[in-house]
Amino acid sequence: MKIERRGMMRLAGAAMAATMAISGTMAVAQDEPLKVALGDIASVESLNLLIAMERAGERGVPMEMTFFNSEDVAVQAVLSGEAHIGVGAPYAFIQNSEAPIRMFYRMSTLLFFPVVNSEVYSDWADLDGQEITVHSRGSGTEALMRLMEQVHDIEYANISYVPGSEVRAGAMLQGTINASIVDAANFRLLQEQGGGKFMRLPLDGVNATDEALYANQNVLTERSEDMQVFVEELLRTWNDIAENPAIVGELREQYNLLPDLPADLVAEAVPYYTEADENGIYPLDGGAPQDARDDIAFLSAAGQVSGNPDEVDPADYWDFSVLEAAKAAN
Amino acid sequence: MPADQTAHSPVAGVTSRWISAVSDVPAIWKILSLAILFAAWEIGGRTNFNWAFPTFLETMAALWEMIADGSMGAAYLRTLEPLVIGLVISLVIGVSAGVAMGLRKDAEWLTLPIFITMQAAPMAALIPLITFVYGIGLTSKVLAVVMLSMPVIAINSYKAVRNVPQSLVHMCHSFMGSRRQQILTVILPAASPMMFAGIRLGIAEGFSGVVLAELLITPTGIGDLITFNRSIAKFPHMYAAIFSIVALAVITVSLLHRLEVTLFRPEKRGA
Repeated sequence: MKIERRGMMRLAGAAMAATMAISGTMAVAQDEPLKVALGDIASVESLNLLIAMERAGERGVPMEMTFFNSEDVAVQAVLSGEAHIGVGAPYAFIQNSEAPIRMFYRMSTLLFFPVVNSEVYSDWADLDGQEITVHSRGSGTEALMRLMEQVHDIEYANISYVPGSEVRAGAMLQGTINASIVDAANFRLLQEQGGGKFMRLPLDGVNATDEALYANQNVLTERSEDMQVFVEELLRTWNDIAENPAIVGELREQYNLLPDLPADLVAEAVPYYTEADENGIYPLDGGAPQDARDDIAFLSAAGQVSGNPDEVDPADYWDFSVLEAAKAAN
Repeated sequence: MPADQTAHSPVAGVTSRWISAVSDVPAIWKILSLAILFAAWEIGGRTNFNWAFPTFLETMAALWEMIADGSMGAAYLRTLEPLVIGLVISLVIGVSAGVAMGLRKDAEWLTLPIFITMQAAPMAALIPLITFVYGIGLTSKVLAVVMLSMPVIAINSYKAVRNVPQSLVHMCHSFMGSRRQQILTVILPAASPMMFAGIRLGIAEGFSGVVLAELLITPTGIGDLITFNRSIAKFPHMYAAIFSIVALAVITVSLLHRLEVTLFRPEKRGA
């Protein structure tokens, strides 16, 4: 009994010490680095973001990146205050939970290539009543294919889910699937190794956000100056890369970013940004209210959010104040 | 071994003692305790302490919606496939391996370390390895169920056979029973209560296995309902899917426990 009581006292003491430690960190919250929550591991595609973070650090806004298992966990981290900034496009989350997070910078647009085996299909109409393969339920690839179903007035017999563009490209090369949707790198792979067998189906008029940066509203207001510096650097970095994609390689070395990246992936970095620039993956304006409406139109076609895109108020999802301030300062 | 040993030794484990204690409680108390739990859930949901935590009533409405539109039924049909196949394999191989290990030293030496390793290893970490070898189809999911449920079944069957009172075996010997008679009429009947308890635990593990597989390999069935509704932030639906699989597992295991008492524990019947 005595031991138990002593144990309880010790627990209470530890709890008090923990509380004091937490309130201590709260007091210095202003000097705390801005933590970015990425629901993935960092790769070549995150180099531009990492460069902008380093540049913000040089201007006195220290930043850190934390990695999470999935975008859903990253959203929770931002909501609970464990991270300040999240990476993703949490439209459905904001709509369904009415949580006080807002997107503030549009990093990239969704670019995927619907591909068919030209020996079997030749256009969208041929896919009526056929099976297609996408990444996962509720993914951007599914949304794109669902949207095309509406645009071309067709109906797929079945949608199967195979995560990973490289897996789907491999399956197409093996001939186990004949219609799918892959990313730019794997589309190139199919063109190189398929011997002209694979054909891209047109995907016109789709403007959808792939990844945006979002934050809790109180972070956007309370740390608006730091956020503005970060957004200024994002705009500068995106424009610099568009002008000369080769600087990605130089800045990666200069800042020693992703030092563990294998050599073959390092070699891909500059070609990746060159191609991304040609395809317009990385917008240079950081986003606009019309983009938010287009996103809602795209996601509601895919059944991920509800509501009429014309009536949607972009302010329910976006906070453009930091972006506007950054543009005015530049 | 003294004849009165069984009367004094604890016949049941902590869980079964707890479950039988609970089953002695009048129904009104069970309902009341569930009501308190659900009320706490409802209040917790209404305080909005987490944006992703729905209230109990929202969750039940989502559950009803998914049952009514057939998505829940379709999901369970897919989830039950690897679960049932995996459990049948675990039962057949697990019980035979357990009995063989209990009866023969050489079988024990060969097989027991495998089951002990399987039981101790964190399976969630090993499931990705299965996919490297067996892909992302049904085989991998069945294997995940087998890996979780078979060790418990095998080890309990082994211990059950090992712990058959030697006096019974000697009695059989003195009546000049053959080895075959010894196994079929003495050892297996004496071991069956503990074996059945192992099967019940194995089935409970099988539920974990199938949900892990559906969350970690490819989302199908109930795992798909959980991940899909999470990805589009329909949290009441996500919680409803989780609630349904927990409820199904609890009901299945309780029914098995009741069956176990009826079949093998005459001393507890009507208690």
